[in-house]
Amino acid sequence: MTRLRRPLSLLIAAALCLPPAPAQAQFGGLGGLFDKAQKAKKVGDSMREIGPEEEIKIGNDLAGMILGAAPLVDNAAEQHYVNRLGMWLALHTDRPDLPWKFGVIATEDVNAFSTPGGYVLISQGVFERVRNESELAGVLAHEIAHVVQKHHLHALQNEMRTTAVADVGGSMVASGGVGGFLTEQVVKAGKTLYTRGLDKGDEYEADRMGVVIAARAGYSPYGLVGVLQTLSAQQDQKGMALMMKTHPNPTDRMDRLGKAMGTRLDALTPVADDLPSFVALRNPPPPPAAKAPAKARAKAKPRRK
Amino acid sequence: MKFASALVGALALSVAALPAAAEEGAVIRADELKAMPFIDAATSAKVTANQQVTIVGRKGGWVEVQAGGQTGWLRMLNVRLAAGSGPAQGQANVRAASLLRTGSSGKTVTTGIKGLGEEDLQNASPDPAQVAALADFAVPASEASANAHASGLVEQQVEFVDEKGKPVTRPKAKGKNK
Repeated sequence: MTRLRRPLSLLIAAALCLPPAPAQAQFGGLGGLFDKAQKAKKVGDSMREIGPEEEIKIGNDLAGMILGAAPLVDNAAEQHYVNRLGMWLALHTDRPDLPWKFGVIATEDVNAFSTPGGYVLISQGVFERVRNESELAGVLAHEIAHVVQKHHLHALQNEMRTTAVADVGGSMVASGGVGGFLTEQVVKAGKTLYTRGLDKGDEYEADRMGVVIAARAGYSPYGLVGVLQTLSAQQDQKGMALMMKTHPNPTDRMDRLGKAMGTRLDALTPVADDLPSFVALRNPPPPPAAKAPAKARAKAKPRRK
Repeated sequence: MKFASALVGALALSVAALPAAAEEGAVIRADELKAMPFIDAATSAKVTANQQVTIVGRKGGWVEVQAGGQTGWLRMLNVRLAAGSGPAQGQANVRAASLLRTGSSGKTVTTGIKGLGEEDLQNASPDPAQVAALADFAVPASEASANAHASGLVEQQVEFVDEKGKPVTRPKAKGKNK
């Protein structure tokens, strides 16, 4: 009896909550359609805790969006290095088992992004401006903290709660099928979120957690402070606009971080400021002479495994 | 091609000779210049608020500065960098590395050629192939650990802190939105 009644109630509910004419005409499987619509609605349901699988899918969509704006830098050694470091840092958090992925993206702007489920992207501009490995660790750890605390996931839920339901009819037709439906909603909300920025409180929290994660992994906790110094001195320069728009003022961040840190992390020993491998990565040995370029290049760029 | 490799060679050679640029800054609050980067190290001189300093080194939470003919260490958080100071965009050494790569692979330059502004994100189309490429670079935890230990990194037990510096096991994630 209940079995028979259930599809019927689904149909009624679907008919009630969807703009009936265009949607029904285009999609035969009303049950599946209803499912997708509910799914999108649920992402925006702030009371619902999103499971890891869905979190990773959302993060994957958003990483695809950022990579669509700036692709990965064509340097395998650099990408591998950042992945080893990033994973090592992530192991010192409460979410070591996420499928963490790190990348350097091809833009000279100074910025870094994370998306839910363990995606972290930093710009080549950041990679070039850090003074040492502890500064790079500080930036990655700040992004890792956003993921651990689900800052973007929760902000996205907020964003989608206000837009998703209203958009259900329109974007389903636009996406040309229910398969891409959720992705499209997520990317749309993501564009708003990643150009507006998180709550300031989330950024301060990621700063406080970032220095601790770096310290746990064996790095100087002051690497992130050094980066904030750089941002503070260069905030008016080219390549800082999006980062400055989406983050609190770096001087303010430093003040708050300094208050929270006090001197209690100063006694940690030993901590690493830099590693020879990082210096070598950024200073490849010069080719001995221009007459034997093929050989020289092979030497300058040892293949990493 | 010959020209390109000659250029790369010349560039890399000139880069190797470049010294690290000193950074300019100012003291935030009156402080003592320490002989070593430790809180209980001997005081070598005093510095006043807003005094100009040149940063010549960094170690942990400390910066080594030259101030009024003296050299010593100040806490990093007590020094404000001068506008425009700090590591320059496109540090020559890294840029040389990407040029080397470009020369050898024959591919177009993909680094340091464009910005990433608000409009670029708004107009972006998701790129699944790049997401797949990103996944290819991921490393297992075992590799990351082995690499870190081989590098001599020493793990530490440190608790997270709240705004006031009070230890907390883990800041509560905002489950419910405000």
